[in-house]
Amino acid sequence: MAQSNRAEELRAENIAVSLRDVSKMYSREAPAVTNADFEVHDGEFVFITGETGSGKSTLLKMIMHELKPTSGEINVLGFDLNRIRHGKIPKFRRNLGIVFQDFRLLRDRNVYENVAFAQRIIQVPGKDIRKNVLDALDMVGLADKYKRKVTQLSGGEQQRVALARALVNKPLLLLADEPTGNLDADTAWDIMQLIERVNEIFGTTVIVVTHDRGIVSRMHKRVVEMKQGEIISDSGEIDPYYEGYDELPDYQDVDADGYEYEE
Amino acid sequence: MGTSMRNNNSIFSGIHRAFSTLFYTLWQGIKYLWRNKGYTLASIATISSCLFLFGIFFSVVLNFEHMVKSAEKDVSVTVFFKDGVTEDQINQLKIAVEERPEVSKVKYVSADEAWKEFSKDYLGDYADGFTENPLEGSENLEIYLNDVSKQADLVSYLEGIDGVREVNRSELTANTLSGANSLIGYISMAIIAILFVVSLFLISNTVASGIISHKDEITIMKYIGATDFFVQAPYVFEGIIIGFIGSIIPLVLIWYLYHKVIALVNGKFAILSSLLSFLPLKVVFHDLVPISVALGVGIGFLGSMFTIRKHLHV
Repeated sequence: MAQSNRAEELRAENIAVSLRDVSKMYSREAPAVTNADFEVHDGEFVFITGETGSGKSTLLKMIMHELKPTSGEINVLGFDLNRIRHGKIPKFRRNLGIVFQDFRLLRDRNVYENVAFAQRIIQVPGKDIRKNVLDALDMVGLADKYKRKVTQLSGGEQQRVALARALVNKPLLLLADEPTGNLDADTAWDIMQLIERVNEIFGTTVIVVTHDRGIVSRMHKRVVEMKQGEIISDSGEIDPYYEGYDELPDYQDVDADGYEYEE
Repeated sequence: MGTSMRNNNSIFSGIHRAFSTLFYTLWQGIKYLWRNKGYTLASIATISSCLFLFGIFFSVVLNFEHMVKSAEKDVSVTVFFKDGVTEDQINQLKIAVEERPEVSKVKYVSADEAWKEFSKDYLGDYADGFTENPLEGSENLEIYLNDVSKQADLVSYLEGIDGVREVNRSELTANTLSGANSLIGYISMAIIAILFVVSLFLISNTVASGIISHKDEITIMKYIGATDFFVQAPYVFEGIIIGFIGSIIPLVLIWYLYHKVIALVNGKFAILSSLLSFLPLKVVFHDLVPISVALGVGIGFLGSMFTIRKHLHV
């Protein structure tokens, strides 16, 4: 059973994500994540920050069940990810919207087809797809470019398409792994504003992994900070006056995979 | 009533979704084939060659079996008699043999009739040069059986009768034909087995290259919540379509060539025309079409499933 008693209790308490003493060890390497403990409530907006190799992307991958923890318990949206059956994973993932640093768009298709692809996968009836896709594109400001090939779009526009694809299925939880890592500062800010709007309008729970200190300090959201696989600080629920924002370390400019980012 | 209507709507909606997914994944499979043209053509060509050879061997084996059966049915046991055996004695034996249950027909052939038939079949006008019957003393009984398996019993019965000089039987012919038939069968099985392995390998490669080139798409599908069926079905359809097309092409070729080859063989070996009785194409196709299509589709399915299990971890 994917839905254990614990998972049901957490849902009853409106806890979208719960990690309890979670560790992840890759073979013969230092642990990527050590004893991570935190909860995210429905509708929260959380940044996970840290240097390269701090374990933030590993943590996100465990939340989306791409990786399994070595130990500890993970419950996401009522699914006990330690015990989830293979056949239930698609059902779990349909509650997620995932955005990557490298956009991961289908380069041989146009904007509309990229977004519609997400709807087809979850078997939305054809007649509803067009409306849903155009609504999603409208939300990210690309309704007028739906026929364009994605290769003809700028980086910021491509990330908007990826965001539209992540949102078109109306996810309960939006996970973004360095969504602004390949974008200039202004475009990055636009994308973050868009994600914030989704959080505010639809109440979608949002977890953003980023090393971009500037964005984190401007957004005034909850910040979970990681270092060498451990959570070293958690600002807790939204606190616009959190003083820690000014004390965030100035991370080196690298992307999610640890490669130095070239301006 | 409202609940029942809602349930019905939900069932219809579920069926609609299932069909829509099936057609969507089928369409994706067709698109993958097109995107992967080189490999697709190579796979279709290989499986077509394989099934073409299978079709040829199948037709040959089937026709051989038919010929063996015809030969067994048509070639009689022939009884020749010692000098001094009278026509009355031969007629008495004829009556006795006719009463045996395995015998369907007994025909008395006099020496004159034997010569007439031989000269007509093999000598034509040259027979006019003979003033005397060279087959004098060759009067015989031609015995036709309704159960060829009892031939040996009948022959030993006939050989035990006083006055019988020689009993000619078709067993040797039948055994030779059966032996040749088995040999063709074994050789064809070996060749077909090798070709099937090659076909499986090629289809597997085609599907694998498709999976590798769609790696990003598969990853995205996985993150969005695609089911295993949704991700895997296009590749299964890809293999099945390759197998299906690969089975239809050789059938069309055989359909086109069958009569031409028969006409050619009959023309070249007219002397054996009585032995070479070919089956109509309809009879051959009755079994060949379903077997070929099943083999093609089966190889395509197995090739793609094998590859999916190896390369596609959803």
